Amino acid sequence: MAEQQRFALVDVNSFYVSCERVFDPKLAGIPVVVLSNNDGCVVARSDEAKALGIKTGDPWFKLAESAPKLGLVQRSSNYELYGDLSSRVMQLLARFSSEQEIYSIDECFLHLHGTDEQLRSRGADIRAAAARNIGLPVCVGIGATKTLAKFANRIAKQNPHLGGVCNLDTLGPSVVDTIMSRVPVTGLWGVGSRNGARLNALGIHTVADLRDADPAVIRAKFSVVLQRTVLELNGTACIPMETESADKQQVLFSRSFATPVTTRESMRQVMSLYAQKAAIRLAKEGQLATVMTVFAATSRFNTTAASAPSVTVRLERPTADPLVLTRAAITAMDSHVVEGAPYAKAGIMLTGLSPAGAEPVFDLFAAGPEQPDIGPLLAQVADKYGAASIGLGLAGLASAKPDWTMARKFASPRFTTEWSDLPVVKAV
Amino acid sequence: MAVFSSNPSPRSGGNDAAPANRSSTLPAGFASPAQDYYDAGIDLNRHLIRDATSTFIMRVSGDAMDGAGISDGDEIIVDRSLTPKDGSVVVAVLNGELTIRRLLLTGQGIYLHADSPGSTDIRVPDPAELSVWGVVTRCLHHV
Repeated sequence: MAEQQRFALVDVNSFYVSCERVFDPKLAGIPVVVLSNNDGCVVARSDEAKALGIKTGDPWFKLAESAPKLGLVQRSSNYELYGDLSSRVMQLLARFSSEQEIYSIDECFLHLHGTDEQLRSRGADIRAAAARNIGLPVCVGIGATKTLAKFANRIAKQNPHLGGVCNLDTLGPSVVDTIMSRVPVTGLWGVGSRNGARLNALGIHTVADLRDADPAVIRAKFSVVLQRTVLELNGTACIPMETESADKQQVLFSRSFATPVTTRESMRQVMSLYAQKAAIRLAKEGQLATVMTVFAATSRFNTTAASAPSVTVRLERPTADPLVLTRAAITAMDSHVVEGAPYAKAGIMLTGLSPAGAEPVFDLFAAGPEQPDIGPLLAQVADKYGAASIGLGLAGLASAKPDWTMARKFASPRFTTEWSDLPVVKAV
Repeated sequence: MAVFSSNPSPRSGGNDAAPANRSSTLPAGFASPAQDYYDAGIDLNRHLIRDATSTFIMRVSGDAMDGAGISDGDEIIVDRSLTPKDGSVVVAVLNGELTIRRLLLTGQGIYLHADSPGSTDIRVPDPAELSVWGVVTRCLHHV
């Protein structure tokens, strides 16, 4: 059988919940939900929670009372943990491919090569490695285009008998056709509900309908973007591997270098550039970030000077400030860069996002012109009226709690990023 | 795995390329002259961790592994990618809890053995029920 190049879409099942389960085996097999910032509403559900009819977006206060009765366990969002496990799983997945696009905190596209059977077994290897090396369950969808790989991933997820891996090519055309004629067109990557309604009005209801539509008509009536979806459904790859993505959960910027980056100084420039790009993206989305993950890696073909630093840091406050983000990125990465190692790629991921308008932004520590007089002035006032009488910003209010401190009442420890929060293993 | 809290210093605002404030002894805005020799130091991450992607640090609670030199409060390095063998010290999932024990694969069956007098071994009746979370490679013993 001929060797082909295929796209694989790998994603972690119920990512946030699965992260919580890695260090708390008691959560296996029971309904678990992860709550949004300030424990407001459900942002992630285990399969068992889905089976209870709990929906994403359900407010927690409505579930809280019945939770004990249902055996439902809740966790606050623990973005340090999710960021760290995300970068681990992405590094692991990169070992399986020459090219990787990190698409979101819990999914990436990979280029894979091989015969149909080799591709399927490669998918099974990926799944086994993620489960064993990190403890996260993943599903793998494989297809001739990114759109088809996404679709295959959906099939893998919804059909447990496939063992979490679906290579569209091995299902057979008639099976694929049957599935496509059952799935509504809005279930497709890149088709929103607005386009969905307009497509329905034209008699295009299912994925199969869209696949069989005239690309030229779709382009004329909709956009070149949706035309690409039609072409991709028919096996013509026209969406390349990208380097940037953003949605409600994270902003991501990662890129492979044309020539390797080999010095700490150059890596600082890379981090500075990426942080500013991420900041622009944040501003565009109207969001603030609380956690940053920076990562870099040498090529997987380079075994003599392999280095793959990945660091997750909590920002001091929710921010979209390019200066703060740049400093954080450089600080986080700097000491982990091995001087002389040929880095082939690097990236920045921002998570723990909240809308910029929702919480007051305290720009107390924003860099400004030098104020050489302030220090002596503060010292004078403190001498006269006591240490807590004056300070910059919140430091001057001894008892004030910052408004933006988020409620994380049900948070698990920062198992992988804080020495004081290490998981405890019993010796009894 | 290392972690910092970002520590923006108001002073380095005007100079993006300046090294960030890496430690309290390094003022922001000044490059350390020792910087280029940084890699000459011993990096424990490199010597103690084989595969950072699959390695986790955990803290021991209890004294059942005293005989193996692993005491209450010690930190252990756990590599999930290793295959547990007879005699491996492992983190196993027992009744929903992460538990450290020595794995014994004997002709009579599988045991999770405690390395301290008075503790009892746990027999794993069915190999399918054995859930090894990871293999312990090092113990950071507090002396």
